[in-house]
Amino acid sequence: MAINKQHAIDPDKCTACTICITACPVTAATRKFRGPKMTGPALTRLRKLVSDDDPMLDYCSNCKTCDLVCPSGVPISTLNMMAKNEYYKTHPRKSRADDMLAHSEKMGKLITALPMGSTFAGMGMAIGKAFNMMNAMGITQNAKMPTYASESFISKFKKIKQTSYPRKVVFFSGCYINYNQPEVGVDLVKVYQKNEVEVAVDEKFVCCGSPMVSGGYIDDARINAAKNVKLLKGWVDKGYDIVTACTSCGLMLKQEYQELFDFAGMADYAEHMYDSIEYLAKLNDEGKFNTDFVENSTKYIYHAPCHLKVQAIGRPSMELLPLIPGMQIEEADAGCCGISGSYGFKADKNEIAMKVGSKLFARIKNSHADLGVSECGTCRLQMENGSGVHAIHPLTVFKKAYGL
Amino acid sequence: MRKSDILIIGNGISGLFAACIAADMGKKVQILSYGAGTLTIGGGIIDVLGYTDDGKPIENPVLGADKMASGHPYSKVGAQTVDKALRAFLKIAESEGFPYIGSPDKNQWVPTAIGNFKPSCLVPRTMNSQAIFDAENILVVGFDTMKDFYANMVTKNLRKHLKSDKNIEEFVVQLNFEYGRDLRDISAMDVARWLETKEGYNAFVNQVKAHIKNSTAIVLPPVLGLDPNYQILDSLEKDLGCKLVEVSSLPPAVTGTRLDKMLNSYAKKHGVQIIEKARVVGSEVADGKCQAVITEGFDRQRKFYADQFILATGGVYGGGLIAGIGSMVEPVFNINIDVPKVQTEWSYKHLFADKKQIFAQYGVNVDNDLTPVAADGSKIASNVKVVGRSLAGYDFCYEKSGNGVALITAYKAAAAFCGEA
Amino acid sequence: MLKTTVVVIGGGATGVGILRDLSMRGVDTILVERDDLGYWTSSRFHGLLHSGGRYAVKDKEAAKECIEENTILRRIGRHCVEATESIFVRAPEDSEEYEHEWVKSCAECGISAIPISMDEAFKLEPNLSRKLLSAYRCPGAAIDGFRLLWQTVASANKYGGKAMTYMEVTGIETENGEVVGVRIRDRWTGREDKIACDFVISAAGSFSGEVAKLAGLTVNVKPSKGTLIAFNHRICNRVIHRLHKSSDADIFVPHGSITILGTTSIDSAPDDTSTETAEVVEMMKVGEVTFENIYDYRILRVFAGTRPLYSADPNAKGRSASRGFVALDHAHEGVKHFFSVCGGKFTTYRLMAEKVCNMVCEQLGVNEKCHTAEENLVDDPSPELINRAKAVFPSYGAELASSRLGNDKLERVIERIEKQPEMKELVCECENVTRAEIEEIAGEPTSHTVSDVRRRTRLGMGTCQGTFCAYRSVGAIDKEDVPWSKDTVNLCKDFLETRWKGIRPVLWGNMLRDIELTRAIYDAALNLSGVEDIK
Repeated sequence: MAINKQHAIDPDKCTACTICITACPVTAATRKFRGPKMTGPALTRLRKLVSDDDPMLDYCSNCKTCDLVCPSGVPISTLNMMAKNEYYKTHPRKSRADDMLAHSEKMGKLITALPMGSTFAGMGMAIGKAFNMMNAMGITQNAKMPTYASESFISKFKKIKQTSYPRKVVFFSGCYINYNQPEVGVDLVKVYQKNEVEVAVDEKFVCCGSPMVSGGYIDDARINAAKNVKLLKGWVDKGYDIVTACTSCGLMLKQEYQELFDFAGMADYAEHMYDSIEYLAKLNDEGKFNTDFVENSTKYIYHAPCHLKVQAIGRPSMELLPLIPGMQIEEADAGCCGISGSYGFKADKNEIAMKVGSKLFARIKNSHADLGVSECGTCRLQMENGSGVHAIHPLTVFKKAYGL
Repeated sequence: MRKSDILIIGNGISGLFAACIAADMGKKVQILSYGAGTLTIGGGIIDVLGYTDDGKPIENPVLGADKMASGHPYSKVGAQTVDKALRAFLKIAESEGFPYIGSPDKNQWVPTAIGNFKPSCLVPRTMNSQAIFDAENILVVGFDTMKDFYANMVTKNLRKHLKSDKNIEEFVVQLNFEYGRDLRDISAMDVARWLETKEGYNAFVNQVKAHIKNSTAIVLPPVLGLDPNYQILDSLEKDLGCKLVEVSSLPPAVTGTRLDKMLNSYAKKHGVQIIEKARVVGSEVADGKCQAVITEGFDRQRKFYADQFILATGGVYGGGLIAGIGSMVEPVFNINIDVPKVQTEWSYKHLFADKKQIFAQYGVNVDNDLTPVAADGSKIASNVKVVGRSLAGYDFCYEKSGNGVALITAYKAAAAFCGEA
Repeated sequence: MLKTTVVVIGGGATGVGILRDLSMRGVDTILVERDDLGYWTSSRFHGLLHSGGRYAVKDKEAAKECIEENTILRRIGRHCVEATESIFVRAPEDSEEYEHEWVKSCAECGISAIPISMDEAFKLEPNLSRKLLSAYRCPGAAIDGFRLLWQTVASANKYGGKAMTYMEVTGIETENGEVVGVRIRDRWTGREDKIACDFVISAAGSFSGEVAKLAGLTVNVKPSKGTLIAFNHRICNRVIHRLHKSSDADIFVPHGSITILGTTSIDSAPDDTSTETAEVVEMMKVGEVTFENIYDYRILRVFAGTRPLYSADPNAKGRSASRGFVALDHAHEGVKHFFSVCGGKFTTYRLMAEKVCNMVCEQLGVNEKCHTAEENLVDDPSPELINRAKAVFPSYGAELASSRLGNDKLERVIERIEKQPEMKELVCECENVTRAEIEEIAGEPTSHTVSDVRRRTRLGMGTCQGTFCAYRSVGAIDKEDVPWSKDTVNLCKDFLETRWKGIRPVLWGNMLRDIELTRAIYDAALNLSGVEDIK
């Protein structure tokens, strides 16, 4: 059941129990953050009464660990994001990083559209770093930044020849796969084809808005949501299921839209939304999952993204990956990686992000795994940043297991 | 088909413990959880039975449990189960490297954050209060800017409760944390994190050391590490040459979090699968048996199948029971709890009523096998067992029996499902 | 023995209004209150500053008084008033003719009532029921009873007026049919004393009968109990009235961080502040017409107060000083210089005081006119002080603390935090009350219990209803310079019991969840009710 919009701004369910405080990774990393209970439900009551300078509001990373542990169903992180949105209507931003990272789709479009193409794009944000622009913009110089691909996923997709099957899905690639890691999208198509699923894409999809919401630009996200909701509903009406391979996109489209906005049709299409691996697990439940794998002796460590955990779908990757013969995989189970989409790229947050992720980094290093696995693009980047171990999407593991 | 042998609804102490026991016995166990269990705001100690119905302290919880009136969960499971379950818990704690002290047949008095004592049965070594009774000198250690522990109040009240020949003093450790408008208040968790750092540890030792005399016990807030191990306690006891005792305190609960981590770790090691944020809204019961439970989220309903089900959703606080105006219901199996229509009849005039509160005893009625039964005594679903706070017939606050009932009924249910009656 | 010209009995709105008025006219006055200021009726109401709209049709004179006093209080009491404005809404079941009559009456009384479209109304107040038909904006407001009382006394203090709390009047002494003094007893120390005086004014509200009895007189007050529901957050940002003939449960007042719905009317004993579930259920039914999702909103607590309605005794020879309240000069019954003031409304407390003081001053031969409408109760804090506050208080704290405390105390609290930054620690996280505020108020001689501190600071009045701050506040005040802090266990217990009283009749949903948490902390973890001796 969807949280009624009325209730999204309603702090009433909170009993001030402090469970969220014990679990919040940012709270553990810095005293600059007041913690989810205060920033969310407690201060929501007071913000209706007075307005004040509230620098702590900026520190919630929207990782949603608080929502995950709350026994009362309070949409704590969403309350925080809504407060942030309102706050920055009347207070200055700390740096331009907020704007840039929230609207990363713009950057993606810009770079992939450049005539120099691959030579330039491969460097991606590294250019800016070289020019020492990052500091001025409030973006950290300490983290490995996402690089941009020479060709977008949408463009690559058009070149893929698919076999048509009755089972069809529309794939919402999201910005990260489209502009930064198109190969993950290509892997999805290949793996789905192996499972007799036909994949469609929609060029009219726009950024899901997750980075906008996290940055406190909910009004911008609303504009994107209006477009996406209509399109998604249209695909579902045509009999398609929707899959995402980025857990933040997935969470945004099916949950946060419902918490924040009140467009018609959201609940209808949400019923047909799947994480890319969850969809394979569904095939497995139905006995339709292709397990014609080649042996794989690589040692993996799996990290569950926070935005996957909160979707109430368990760990589909940990259900399916062990089906690959010879598979050595363990779950890190070491909490948030710290990056939270774009949070860790901000100059004033990077140290916090690295501290949050330190447990995971140590865990990865101690596991002596060859590769990390995670559904989330920026989690993978952060895993590499923190541990030096390269990380890939589970779809890529399956592609390899199919001998492709 | 996603199907487990035993599906447990709820990951509080009773759900996790049932999972540990069942997984230990080779069952495929899945837990559906919605939010962290109240374990993480609790004290992390195992109260089994502290007081009789008329408020007399109980020395031996197993004997006490044996004397409970019918209707009490202990009278349903029997005193033998009490003993077995607690020993199973001790074993798990031991194997996780976080052994608890105490014995099922003896209560111990644990100091509290207000400076009095409460009876409990099994406690982590960080709360071994025997040191307080043995030592000649008690040093109550607070932290200058930490919230939720007041060394002066604890000292004053301890003096009221302990023999007058004891020398009880307070000492406040200077944290020297940065402080200002844009930095949040300091909690016990922050201090625990500080003690986990080298600088914090050394600063603590250096400041406290001078105040340790022969035969001293330190009483302090729960700050001896965030994880289920005794590394900090052991080093401090060695470096300071005295015993340290953490008090039973209010949330956010460092001690409860340790126990939560310990049980989660054991469960996961033994193959228990936990699905988080899974809100169970109903069940499918056919031919007197539960076939599946149904979850609901922002997307769609999902069914989870199993041979056997353990309902460990907690009481009103945990969401396992929903209280309305003149009504109470258990939402998964839609069991109506018989409560007075007039709300004021749910309670006594005083909150601290010096007897069991009426509303605290509301819950699901079960038979002696913990199977939920309807008002006419018929089983609601024969392959379901109800454990922990959802159960009727006890007031954990008054009796001091919370985690005890949770562990003991969870053990009984899991063992019965695994064929060990 | 103390000596003064006038003794005022009763520290409610009427009493403090009289204290301030007389003090400003240069008359020596002492107020004695048996409990804390505003313990009774003056805090057990909506917190509504009437625009007069509610009385426009029925009683134009009362309506006019309301709008005039409303205008004055918004000015002189701006730190107690939240100038929210109000909206009158008509539901399908309310009479359309009444609406027309009401619009006309408001115009006649000088009450601004601006019609707005329902779309506009829903934009202003998104939670209003979509079934409502018409809406008008009026100049109603929210007013904080506790704060108004303390600030009125603070203003009186500047003119030499004095208020003594927890001081029970045990006798009224007369000589030759004339008042000569009152006997008093300190309820904390038990010490007895006498105040010699020339005049006694009883402003004891619902207890006026009891006070009159001390002088061998009868005053016929018929207390009428009204129940109110406090909700956990601001359901609305303006006062919402139903546009119909005044009735039960038809007013919602946003009050600080909460919303109050009231009220009912039932004959009662003067000290009956009990509440029943059945009343709440009935009120919710009525409230649902205005806010259709009312059952989703969390109730914090319920409370009740008694209106001191005066029942005209055929034998009484009082004269009506104004509609809605009476000032009885008991000289007609053989006791000179003894007045009883009964009835009245919170909104018009200043006007009532003015009229009573005119009568008294006439007999005293004091010619000084009333100045209470001309001077603010407390000075505005200077921008420098506000800036100092903003530099030390946690977010959202400076403004709240400044309106709670008034300038002098605000400055002292700021100094505390400047000296010891950790004093900005939030003892009450729900209402943003700092440790510095708690320690400052607890150390005042007028504070004797945690509840006294609560009334001054809003400690424990938010979401958790004392679950966390009972322990914290008791720990914070457990100091040598707070003489009443010795028995910490019972201070905790007593404070939680007062919170429990308001929760018990509404023990469902999150209210019960919260009580479970309270018990888990104070009974299970801290063992407050456990056995004392542990061998």
